Amino acid sequence: MSCLISLSQSPYGSRSAKESLDAALVMAAFEQNPGLLFIDDGVLQLLPKGQQPSPHKHIGKIISALEMYDIEELWVETESLQELGLQVEQLSQPVKLICRQQLSELWSKYDQHLVF
Amino acid sequence: MAGFLYMPNTTHLNSTTSLSYCIVVRCGPNQQSQSLSALQFTHELLAQGHSVMRVFFYQQAVLIASSLTVVPQDEANLTLQWQALAQEYQLELGVCIAGALHNGIVNPQECERYQLEAANLAQGFQLVGLGQLAAASVECDRLVSFGA
Repeated sequence: MSCLISLSQSPYGSRSAKESLDAALVMAAFEQNPGLLFIDDGVLQLLPKGQQPSPHKHIGKIISALEMYDIEELWVETESLQELGLQVEQLSQPVKLICRQQLSELWSKYDQHLVF
Repeated sequence: MAGFLYMPNTTHLNSTTSLSYCIVVRCGPNQQSQSLSALQFTHELLAQGHSVMRVFFYQQAVLIASSLTVVPQDEANLTLQWQALAQEYQLELGVCIAGALHNGIVNPQECERYQLEAANLAQGFQLVGLGQLAAASVECDRLVSFGA
């Protein structure tokens, strides 16, 4: 059983980013082998530098814990990255890029798809 | 993408087969039409003879589990409708406990644990961990989530 989780929310605008990452970690703990797709503003969750979100939960720290949970499939939609004016080198984690046209191919590789 | 989730790779099933579903509701009382979609979809599944192993309320949807919401008479009361559906079909209505506590939805046990003034979890709902979502997603044939 494998699950793709789409993350489309910016890290600190609402609690949604934190809650979607929580779901990802729990899925991993249940050996669901989740992959993460960062899309739209969700890409901002991968920005490493200058995060001083106190008093919020530090999203960057949760992201850096993904590896410990064996969450290694991290996908970023190329178009989202471009729309935000970002380069892949600026992201905190090694990710795989995927363009919008190939998304349905990615979805079909997983049994389930949970969208946040 | 309106928060839709599905399992394309399960065994091929014809239309008369009864499937086991898990429903994830992420939208709250303020997203009326989406919340109603979740309710009506679940209702229709059960009416068509499918089984729903669990409904999991997450994020804004935990507010549906409050027994203290007052809804104008000409508007849909999601809490009452979920309760009625749960009673009719013995549905399990699981509410994410972390989200519930954060949004002021507590059962008598949590009320006592945190020394709060009152408990307000509506009857028929129960507080459960996120693990119950993961467990349900393993066991069900289809997992469908509502909420943008």
